[in-house]
Amino acid sequence: MGATARDVTVLIPAFNEAERLPAVLAGLYALDDVARVVVVDDGSTDETTRVAKAGGATVLTLPFNQGYGAALQTGYKFALQCDTTLVVQMDADGQHVPADIPRLVDPVRDGEADLVIGSRFVEQTAYQMSGIRNVGRKLFQRLARRSGLDVTDPTSGFQAMNRSVLALYAREFFPSDYPDIDVLLAAHKAGIVIAERSVEMLPETRKSTMHGGLRSIYYVYRLALSLWAGSRVRAS
Amino acid sequence: MQNQLELNQIRDLFLAAPESMATRIVAIALSTGLLVLVAWLVRRRRLGEEYTPIWVTITVVMTIISLRLDLLRALTRAVGAWTPSSTIFFLGELFLMAICLNYAVRLSRNSKQLKALAQEAAILRARVDELAARDQ
Repeated sequence: MGATARDVTVLIPAFNEAERLPAVLAGLYALDDVARVVVVDDGSTDETTRVAKAGGATVLTLPFNQGYGAALQTGYKFALQCDTTLVVQMDADGQHVPADIPRLVDPVRDGEADLVIGSRFVEQTAYQMSGIRNVGRKLFQRLARRSGLDVTDPTSGFQAMNRSVLALYAREFFPSDYPDIDVLLAAHKAGIVIAERSVEMLPETRKSTMHGGLRSIYYVYRLALSLWAGSRVRAS
Repeated sequence: MQNQLELNQIRDLFLAAPESMATRIVAIALSTGLLVLVAWLVRRRRLGEEYTPIWVTITVVMTIISLRLDLLRALTRAVGAWTPSSTIFFLGELFLMAICLNYAVRLSRNSKQLKALAQEAAILRARVDELAARDQ
């Protein structure tokens, strides 16, 4: 296991998360690993930017709402321009537990993997995924296995990665809405070594999620189309 | 067999029906009007030159068809339609589908460019904030 170093940049895409962000930031700065927190404000209409700055984060404010994937990619591009070697991405809604970060970054630090996914399904946890999402997850998991990629939680937004992953994800193929197993498959085909570690996932506190209602159906449709179309990564 | 012959005869009657001069004049007027509208929009800088070829082509095709209705009748026979007006509607629908797809492709490209610009603006703004904070 690598020695604990303050070398982690935490990337948080946020859309109208002024209420939940302070607790997330406080939890992150309590860790020895975290050097910098970058909040990407995806065109929020609340005080997300102000709250994030007050919480000590570097804030990238998109001029208008672009989508979860586009916000993440903004952070990747920024991290690439800095001397960042290790990035952890997590959600702003407080579902991801900052204490799990060392478990994700250690395999990347040690060179065991380029990308580590915080999985809710490696071990039995209290988290329950329901409805069409769970069906879709299992279906796409099975499809990915055919390509040699075996991940239990491709929809997890809690991941640790090194610069080679950042460089790949900064490219045009990266989707604006929901980066998912299609992106992981592209990374796998590009030679990125992917691993999973078990993490805890707290219950959602907001009423609507980005995968709720009709969006679940669109989510499954888009992923199916994306997988059918191939990895979408063009050799540059 | 008897019914089939009658249907073909009716179709021939439709195809052979003479077009009135009024129809021809209306078609030419519409084509010319569309061409003038396109030119006016370009002149007012409300339509980019790169978007005009497809519209100019349409006006030219419409004008040729208006002047040479025999070509339209031949095309109607070729596609198996009964009346020249059906062929015009069919071609119109094809044109609308093609132009919608064309605009969807252009829109996709513009969305990607817009996303890249917005990301660049966000990163630059953060850099400016950092520099300003350093100067204080």
